[in-house]
Amino acid sequence: MAQLPPLENAPINLIGLRKEAQLDLVEALDSMRGRKLLVLDPKLSGPLTLIVQISLLKEHGVENLSHLSGDPIQSDCTNVIYIVRPHLTLMKLIAAQIQHDKRNQQERQYSLYFMPRRSTACEKVLEAEGVHGGITFGEYRMFPIPFDDDVLSLEHELVLKELQVDGDPTSLWDLALTINNLQSRFGLIPNVKGKGDAAKKVFSIMKKMQEEQALTTPEGQPEIDTLILLDRQVDLVTPMCSQLTYEGLVDEFLNINNGCVELDPAILGGDKKVKVPLNSSDKLYRDLRDLNFGVVGGILREKAASMKQDYTDVKTTNQEFSDLKKFVKKMHALPEMTRHIDISQYLTTFTRKRSFMSRLIMEQTLVEGQEYDICYEYIEEMINKQEPLISVLRLLVILSVTNNGLQKKHFDYFRFVELLQSYGWENLFFINDLERAGLLRKQESKSNWLTLKRGLRLVVSDTDDSNPKDISYAFSGYAPLSIRLVQHALHASGWRGIEDMMKLLPGATFEERQVKNRAKFKREKEKKSSVDGRRALVLVVFIGGVTFAEISALRFLSSQESMKHDVIVLTTKLCNGTSFLQSLQTNPLGG
Amino acid sequence: MAVSVAAEWSAIANRYYRKQEIYRMAWHNVELSGHKVACARFGGMIAIIRDDTKIVRLRSEPARPKLLIFRSSGLLVASITWDRPGGRLIAMGWSDEEILHCVMQDGSVFRYDVHGKLLPDKVWFGQECWDQGIMECIIWGNGIVCLTEANAVFCIPDLGSPQFVKLTQLTLEDPPHCMAIIEPQHTVSGSVEVLLAVESTVMVVDGGSIQDQGTTIGPLGKMVASPNGSYVACFTHDGRLLVVTSDFSKTISEFDTQSALPPEQLIWCGMDSVLLYSDDSVLMVGPYGDWTKYTYDEPVVLIPECDGVRILSNTFMEFLQRVPDTTVSIFSIGSTSPGAMLYDAYDHFAKRNAKADESIRMVGSSIPDAVEACIDAAGQEFRMELQDTLMRAAVYGRTFCRRFSKTRIRETCKTLRILNGVRDPNVGIPLTLQQLKVLTLPVLIERLVNEHKHLLAIRMSEYMGLSPETVVVHWAGAMITAATSVPDPELCNLLLEKLKMYSVSYAAIAAHAYRNGRRTLAALLLEHEPRSSEQVPLLTSMGEEEKALGKAIKSGDTDLVYFTLFHLWQKKSPSEFTRAVQDKPLARNLFIAYARQNEPDVLKKFFASIGQLHRVGELLLWEAWAQSKNPVTRQGSPLQGPRIRLIEEAQRLFSHSKEHDFEAKACDEQARLLKIQHELEAKTGKAIFVDTSVSDTIRTCIVLKNHREAQRIRVEFKVVPDKRFYWLKILALAYIKDWDALEKFSKERRPPVGFKPFVEACLQEGQTSEALKYIQKLSDPEEKAEAYAQAGMAKEAAEVAAQAKDSEILGRLKLTFGQSTTAAALFDSIRDRLSLQGG
Repeated sequence: MAQLPPLENAPINLIGLRKEAQLDLVEALDSMRGRKLLVLDPKLSGPLTLIVQISLLKEHGVENLSHLSGDPIQSDCTNVIYIVRPHLTLMKLIAAQIQHDKRNQQERQYSLYFMPRRSTACEKVLEAEGVHGGITFGEYRMFPIPFDDDVLSLEHELVLKELQVDGDPTSLWDLALTINNLQSRFGLIPNVKGKGDAAKKVFSIMKKMQEEQALTTPEGQPEIDTLILLDRQVDLVTPMCSQLTYEGLVDEFLNINNGCVELDPAILGGDKKVKVPLNSSDKLYRDLRDLNFGVVGGILREKAASMKQDYTDVKTTNQEFSDLKKFVKKMHALPEMTRHIDISQYLTTFTRKRSFMSRLIMEQTLVEGQEYDICYEYIEEMINKQEPLISVLRLLVILSVTNNGLQKKHFDYFRFVELLQSYGWENLFFINDLERAGLLRKQESKSNWLTLKRGLRLVVSDTDDSNPKDISYAFSGYAPLSIRLVQHALHASGWRGIEDMMKLLPGATFEERQVKNRAKFKREKEKKSSVDGRRALVLVVFIGGVTFAEISALRFLSSQESMKHDVIVLTTKLCNGTSFLQSLQTNPLGG
Repeated sequence: MAVSVAAEWSAIANRYYRKQEIYRMAWHNVELSGHKVACARFGGMIAIIRDDTKIVRLRSEPARPKLLIFRSSGLLVASITWDRPGGRLIAMGWSDEEILHCVMQDGSVFRYDVHGKLLPDKVWFGQECWDQGIMECIIWGNGIVCLTEANAVFCIPDLGSPQFVKLTQLTLEDPPHCMAIIEPQHTVSGSVEVLLAVESTVMVVDGGSIQDQGTTIGPLGKMVASPNGSYVACFTHDGRLLVVTSDFSKTISEFDTQSALPPEQLIWCGMDSVLLYSDDSVLMVGPYGDWTKYTYDEPVVLIPECDGVRILSNTFMEFLQRVPDTTVSIFSIGSTSPGAMLYDAYDHFAKRNAKADESIRMVGSSIPDAVEACIDAAGQEFRMELQDTLMRAAVYGRTFCRRFSKTRIRETCKTLRILNGVRDPNVGIPLTLQQLKVLTLPVLIERLVNEHKHLLAIRMSEYMGLSPETVVVHWAGAMITAATSVPDPELCNLLLEKLKMYSVSYAAIAAHAYRNGRRTLAALLLEHEPRSSEQVPLLTSMGEEEKALGKAIKSGDTDLVYFTLFHLWQKKSPSEFTRAVQDKPLARNLFIAYARQNEPDVLKKFFASIGQLHRVGELLLWEAWAQSKNPVTRQGSPLQGPRIRLIEEAQRLFSHSKEHDFEAKACDEQARLLKIQHELEAKTGKAIFVDTSVSDTIRTCIVLKNHREAQRIRVEFKVVPDKRFYWLKILALAYIKDWDALEKFSKERRPPVGFKPFVEACLQEGQTSEALKYIQKLSDPEEKAEAYAQAGMAKEAAEVAAQAKDSEILGRLKLTFGQSTTAAALFDSIRDRLSLQGG
């Protein structure tokens, strides 16, 4: 079983946050006496493993654990607790299970906990199915799940679809509540900046909530200094690009899920799949994760060489005990070392491929924004070879976003002739949804990408991957737009310095101050100016998801000498280009 | 002074009792005899009505009896002419909520609030009770038990939701002599226990069961349970007073009253003594048979409280209680307790007498105890002068303490102010400290509010740091009820003037206004409610759904939007619903999201009614797609007829507008494709065609070596570009390893895609020798070198690269071949060391 991330070095007390989430869960479980069956929303069980260990569930009477599915309940437990997100599709499954029990005269008690809160629409479905009366309802409050010392996520993968395709902003409300909860724990955040319509909306809901219910914040200086809200719509290019940091590549090729990667026996040896947690408790990983993959091999080699040297030293020379002890300590890191060597080796089998190289060149050409024809040609060939649809779309989306849409002839050609004929007509829905979400459009006006590229220095050509000077190292030459915005936001002149650029990006821009109590605030400010050795903490919120490479770039930013900020990330979902697009793919039976 | 305090006490055995007058009654011409009197506990209201079973001389009063409600101090609150039907009034009593319950002979119960207003909800004991008639009845804080003429026992266990139950039916020749109850909070079962004295024994009715206690102490003329329910005081037919345990297993004490006539009232005073009232005298019997007697020259009513008994007569109200221990320790004659010494010292100090020093020295190290005693005694006092002196003594003593909690003194002062405030005759609630603790401050405030003492209540709330919200909301409600003639806007402004001083729930007040039929006022007030979650449900229930919808949308809380949507949907006609939702994007989107899952047919009609035919088309397509995914329909209808019809219908809808040409065309193609695929499946007998794409179908045909069909599909869907057809065919031929066909195909004409795809296809299938045929044909040196490299032919690759003089390629090739060996060596060396460590 995966271990919980240690979180000891977090800049704010995340252990306490997790503890509260555990207690809330236990309270939900204890609301039913005796032994019980816990039925989980399949999308929730992964995130929950980052909050509690199975043993705790057992201590509180959970005899069996199953995932909500179309099958009837297979258990003799008379108590059933469901914990689900309030999604309409799940309600039919629950109703079907209860109806099945009724038909078989199986008497059970049912509790249904919604995370993060009860939903009228869901209960309406249960009512229509005639099972509402037999259920006890509860709420399991929304908590951001701590993935690491500086990463929190709501793991809500459908934000983009609900928000942009269905026009359902429920997730923004939930996010606003989460941020307000953080504020009531760590203090009212004095500086708030945001870009994008969703960001604006989240902040206005936060303010409205505070108006309706006075926010009780702890006394003293707030622990978080600045809040930056970023709507993913502002930067759709970055998640589509191939991530080139170590962690990013592991995610692209092996998929990091809930802070773990599942490794094939072919990679690690042994005879079965192994789940390996990837977080900062693995010190070697902490050093490697944010580096460009190009330099990871070299560093591993160096470490291995130094270890070998130590080994020969131990064997040949007569050493003090303290030296021996140091050596033995180092040896403890060996399993991690071999593991990362194995993983890197596996990754190189992909990165060495010519197809990978040519794809990178193509991405580079697209963000350069100079030449489009060879890109069209390249994409066409990908389709001809029947390469995976998502892989084709990732490039098409970059093309569409940087070019402010595809030219009409290309738009219809790709949409119709190529994609539908090659991948099946049902992708009509997918393509329509991509269009609604602004990912794939018909060109209507000229693109301003070139201006943005120049104004924000999005392409930085001379990069030294082993000793980077700019965030562009994370994508070998392309500086992620989202992180560039954060960089400017934290700069002395703020976003006012790049006002022209901000106007070109979609959605509202705002910078505001939140003040609890004016007089007091003044006093505190005076106090603050006298004792300011502390690094200010910045909470960066990504509405719609963030990639690992972007987080790496943020860590790189905060490690720069000129930067006086520590950064902590809150996202609605940790994603990559593939999972980002997949979240829009629908299935007629399951939403 | 100390002497005078203790002089009023009477001693029973080793304990003291005191009786103090609290009020001179403010009323005039009230005669308790011949009247039924009900007094609420905790110093609550007094209700008086003429007892029509007794003969009373009417002075100048009208013949119809009147129900009078007074404060404990005798101030009249309400006077109403009694005109209730239902026969004789059997019993009258106050509930904990201070609602007067009047139980009539026919089993109906009338309820009045403290202002004498009849409450509208109907409460009764049912038909059976109506038929039998009630003989006796007991009302306690939260319920009523009654005994019918036919010896059936009925009960209303919870006055909050007054439902009656029949507890039992006794078959007896003679009716029970008397009845008593033990309140549910003191019983094991948690439901009320009814004690019935039958012949010489006692029957206990508990829940549904009835049990004979098998005792022979009876026949009993009167019984009453102690305040904690563990003992029962019984008056026997031969004039003995017995105290027995509540299960009648053990007699605790016995006292002979030498009077066979049962007392008019039998009541516990605290936990350890019992009062018997008959013939103008009150006999108090202590636990060991000691007794004392108080005589009165006018009739009295005894009112039990948790720490004593109030005695009400025509002219005064007294409080009889056991003297609290600290009071005894300070004031008993000759006491040398620290408290007494401190009190004495202060007395000297106040008189500027130097003896004060001597006295305080005698207290010595027990000063904190002395201070505590004085504070405690001050809390027990009714007389303000005495409270004052005791507190001063305490403060005086505190100066000699090294450390004594300031808050203790401050809290007691605050509590005393509260107690004195409510004891004022104008308020008339004579609470003791002990009673306040049991009652709790919030309940006291609630009582004040019910009695319309809003100002005092809000002052007290603020003084004691409680939220004034309940008081303010109640005040506003009372205002609304009272001000029936004030126009809405004016009343609203009147209310707002005060309300804005507090943060209160405007929704709660608006709800009250709405219930009182003041819709406009409710709407005006609701405008000021900042909490959407409060505002929206009320607006909805007021029938202002559209306004509610607007507010819900503004709040950003989608759940509220859904809440109002469902209301609208249920209440309005489809066309009204459509109109309300149509121009509100959020509401519309949410409705669509819900209906897509749960009401597809409603949604289709909705789209059609707002003229969005293409959305109907989408839904039809969606259905067609769902059919293909659903295993049941897939197996059930191998014919694709229904799906094709759906798709064709969708196409028709799409073609209504030019914007949706694309979708219309896609539908058209898909319908044709399905037909062809269906034919192919019929011909080949293989169910592998349906639901694959055009490209896949062509490729499947080639794999099945059906080149004619492949060609036919290509022609049918003429949009398949040449290049793609080449790629499809190359990959398909390589897949079935038909190398001859592949070669033939490459020679048909110069391939529009070049030879690279041939190379890749062969290499993918691991056929280097086949690939070589095509590598040679590659013209671009870079591609050629790359291809050799992929085929693992380093030498040839290098040669080509060298020919092309392309150093960049050379460099990359070196990397591909060179590094892997060194890397492997490195990994090997680490593995070696790992195994060393393990061994």
